[in-house]
Amino acid sequence: MTTTPAPAPPRAATTTGPAIELAGITRHFGTGSKLVRAVDGIDLTIGRGEIVALLGPNGAGKTTTLDMLLGLSTPDTGQVQVLGSPARRAVASGRIAAVLQTGGLLPDLTVAETVQVIAGLHGAKPRIDDVMQLAGLTDIARRRVGKCSGGEQQRVKFALALLPDPDVLVLDEPTAGMDVKARRRFWNTMRESADAGRTVVFATHYLEEAEQFARRTVVMDRGRIVADGETAHLRAALGGRTVSATVPDTDARSTIADELRRAGADEVRVDGTRLTARTTASDELAAQLLAAGATDLEITAPTLESAFTDLTED
Amino acid sequence: MTATAIRPRRAVFAPSLFRIEVLRQLRNPFTLVFTLAMPIGMYLIFGGFAEWGDAPMAHGNTKFQVMVSMGAFGTATAMSSLCSLAASEVRQGWGRQIAMTPLPIGGYAATKITAALAFSSLSVAGVFVAGILTGAQADDAWRWIVSAAVILVGGTLFGLWGMGVGMLLNPDSAAALASIAITVFGFIGNVFMPLDGAMLDVARFTPLYGYVSLARWPITDGQLITGQTDPMWAVLLNIVVWAAIFLALALAGVVRSRRRA
Repeated sequence: MTTTPAPAPPRAATTTGPAIELAGITRHFGTGSKLVRAVDGIDLTIGRGEIVALLGPNGAGKTTTLDMLLGLSTPDTGQVQVLGSPARRAVASGRIAAVLQTGGLLPDLTVAETVQVIAGLHGAKPRIDDVMQLAGLTDIARRRVGKCSGGEQQRVKFALALLPDPDVLVLDEPTAGMDVKARRRFWNTMRESADAGRTVVFATHYLEEAEQFARRTVVMDRGRIVADGETAHLRAALGGRTVSATVPDTDARSTIADELRRAGADEVRVDGTRLTARTTASDELAAQLLAAGATDLEITAPTLESAFTDLTED
Repeated sequence: MTATAIRPRRAVFAPSLFRIEVLRQLRNPFTLVFTLAMPIGMYLIFGGFAEWGDAPMAHGNTKFQVMVSMGAFGTATAMSSLCSLAASEVRQGWGRQIAMTPLPIGGYAATKITAALAFSSLSVAGVFVAGILTGAQADDAWRWIVSAAVILVGGTLFGLWGMGVGMLLNPDSAAALASIAITVFGFIGNVFMPLDGAMLDVARFTPLYGYVSLARWPITDGQLITGQTDPMWAVLLNIVVWAAIFLALALAGVVRSRRRA
């Protein structure tokens, strides 16, 4: 990926107060032995104009956190402020909007009808054409929502979120169900929207989406924030790729393995003719292996699970 | 909700939602068959074209009695199916889309109930027009109006029923179950073919019996085709008891969906 580093976030805008302020948020479900601490004490401040990824495995508490941010559920303890007002009021006035994973559409309505109904509720009818265009819905306007693909339905939800022209946009797994092409197109649209000064918070379990789009990443696990920082730093901290290849030449195999161990690479393993190692210099290692006559070369990014193991262990 | 509460668009009724709801039902084949075609068809079979159709009742003819029964049946079906659909939709995530708009949940419910009532009015109008065309008769014009009013106001009873079923049962089957149950209630509730003997004794305890009997009252004074006469208190008692049961069911649904949220 050759994404150019994004310019510094427009922090100056925070002079009028943060976009989002969560203070001491907890939210439990169930009672007794079935008690689930979905969110177990979260403090988070997001400035105006920031683009923040909320990263975490299923069950980390991302969706519960976003629900409270949108006033869809109330925290057991703690305060939620969106642009200086309570969440529910910010939602009602259209200053914060969301694409929700759990939000449903009516399958028997057409795409255009769906957008028209919600536009009517927001008093945003003049924005319908712009929003349809921005979300790429003009060509499928007359299609029934039930006949739309998962990616198309996500775009419909995206259009609904854009209708009130919100200052803060919340996206919960926005690209779920999209193919690679649709995903790229979606993020291009989002980037334009963010360049216009909108605050964007999105939950994802794709590390790549956080890397490519968010300047700041907040990592959640088991209801808590386990890391919060610039995405680039976080990536370096989690860095490294697992490289593995079949090296038929015994000498070359053990030489490379020894070198790697000396250089401090993690998890160097030799399994028959198969050499596996985790390193931050994956390109160099790959070149070295190929030069040594290696075959079946594989380079894999760390899975989110291994990233979490790292984050929660230190 | 303080400052924003006075925004004009934070209305309790949403015209754009109402329009689309009526449109949705008009192109829903299930709704059209069960709330428009079926009541008219049943009226024609059991009233309009039946050989006993012109037999006199206390204040009109049998056609009128059957017409009112089918109008009530269509309304009960429309209210239960539309209200259970509304409840299912809220549970399936559409409620969360609505929750992110200025329309409060009460406004959503009010709009949905208004749409259900509008559709019920259409159902009643369809059956009444069929009645007028085929010779349904009442002694006075007010008897038409009072019967129609009882049908529509009493229909809210089955709105509660639909809401409860929609909240408690699997969304995929709730609407169908809620309205098929109304057809069953119709058969065992003396709505279609006149029941007698033990069947009639059972019928008096079923949910459609009181509602339909009250809607028929302007033409029957409580007299049944089979010769018996119901006292008004028994008819009202049936309605009050079933209203309480359906209200409890709807509240149970609300409590359960809150617990899940």
